[in-house]
Amino acid sequence: MKAKTLDDFKQFCETGLSADLNALEARRRALARNLTYAGAVVAGLVLIVLFLMGRSGVQLFPGLLFPVIIGAILFGFITHLAGKGYVRQFKATIIRKIVSFLDENLDYSPHRHIPRSTFIASQIFKTAPNRYKGDDYVSGNIGATKIEFSELHAEYETGGKNRSRRTIFRGLFFIADFNKHFTCRLVVLPDTAEKLFGGFGKTPQSWNLTRDPLIKLEDPEFENFFVVHGNDQIQARYILSTSLMNRIIDFRKKTNRHLYLSFVGSKIFVALSYARNLFEPRLFTTLLDFELMREYFQDLQLAVGIVDDLSLNTRIWTKQ
Amino acid sequence: MPIAIVIIVPLLLIPVLIYNSLIARKNQVLNVFGAIDALLKKRYDLIPNLVATVKGYTQHERSLLEELTKIRAQALSGQISDDEAVELDNKLTRALGRLLLVVENYPNLRASENFMHLQRTLTELEEQISAARRAYNAAVTDYNNAVEMFPTSIAASMMNYKPRRFFEISEKQREGIDAGEHFRR
Repeated sequence: MKAKTLDDFKQFCETGLSADLNALEARRRALARNLTYAGAVVAGLVLIVLFLMGRSGVQLFPGLLFPVIIGAILFGFITHLAGKGYVRQFKATIIRKIVSFLDENLDYSPHRHIPRSTFIASQIFKTAPNRYKGDDYVSGNIGATKIEFSELHAEYETGGKNRSRRTIFRGLFFIADFNKHFTCRLVVLPDTAEKLFGGFGKTPQSWNLTRDPLIKLEDPEFENFFVVHGNDQIQARYILSTSLMNRIIDFRKKTNRHLYLSFVGSKIFVALSYARNLFEPRLFTTLLDFELMREYFQDLQLAVGIVDDLSLNTRIWTKQ
Repeated sequence: MPIAIVIIVPLLLIPVLIYNSLIARKNQVLNVFGAIDALLKKRYDLIPNLVATVKGYTQHERSLLEELTKIRAQALSGQISDDEAVELDNKLTRALGRLLLVVENYPNLRASENFMHLQRTLTELEEQISAARRAYNAAVTDYNNAVEMFPTSIAASMMNYKPRRFFEISEKQREGIDAGEHFRR
């Protein structure tokens, strides 16, 4: 099947999406208006409390900060509650339609996500997350290749007195059936050591004791972007053929994000870092702006397009 | 006295570590070379099956099929040097490439399940062989670096280790692979 272009999508927005977009936009406007009123009321209340407190002689700092903080929390809570239904409707109509526009064999579930066990099984990240959430799960077949992906946010929280939270991964997590048989384990990580130290970065890389042995590949550009660990030198190169390495480099340049890959249990796992929430509507910007729709489309297309970008539908080997 | 131990023990350890790392690198090279050998043999094992399948559909390709059988017999006779083995392997790759081109004239053969499976297996093996060659070259690079770089070079010359040659793919062989790819499209 031919990949959808941005022009195709523009046309689809005008024909297939416009009715839904207009209905949702009306709902968004009403919601935004009500929230503005609610915001004004909360701000007014805060001001009155501040005034009264000021008169009874409470110190500016920190005493007067409390009403402001409570007001902000209250407003956030109201926004969250009021926006819930809108977000649900937005995902159930707009995102679902964009997904099936990209490929009608794809299925979208707004509230599901890739399970934690799968995330750990990918072996990309060594720390097992103890706070784990996600949404926007898409699954289905692109040609001969079974794919699934979702947005994920995996964190690790340390207990005890100095409680702190660290993000292990946030972004898009993609899984597909790989087109070759293999039995080894292979992890491709963004290269930080080699970027800083050039060729000397190889030595610290090989000291990484928690990982499998380092696999040195002959493509210098690939080695610049990535560091590869695996437990089988030959199979690693069978998976990372010269053409796949080139495709991964191109994909890395196209996304310009931190890109992690792993090959485990006959599957390919791709993790793409994002600093923002994906596929979420915005309450205070209009829906009718094509730029916004383009962002949703391109984020989704990037994930679905991995099959083409990495040529996973090429089935010239014994795996069909 | 403790200070002497702190100085002497590492000094004694260094030669041991250098010696062991050289051995490890040599073994890695041998290990990957063995893997290439095993994969090449696997490819030879496909030939009888391939010949039998193609024979059923074609009349005019006798000589090509006989050539394939002959190459296989020579390769598996066990009385050939490494250089001859490489030469035979190149010959086989070329002959297989020609066969895949010729098959284009026989749509029935091309469509047969048996042949399609053989062809996939062949493609897979070819890619595994090329992966093993790349792994071999990586292992040789590692080994040669150790043999030629200071200070491991001193130990290497004492152990009589010499730099090894890379696995080079000849021009002709590249053509052979291209012919195969031409067919797949």
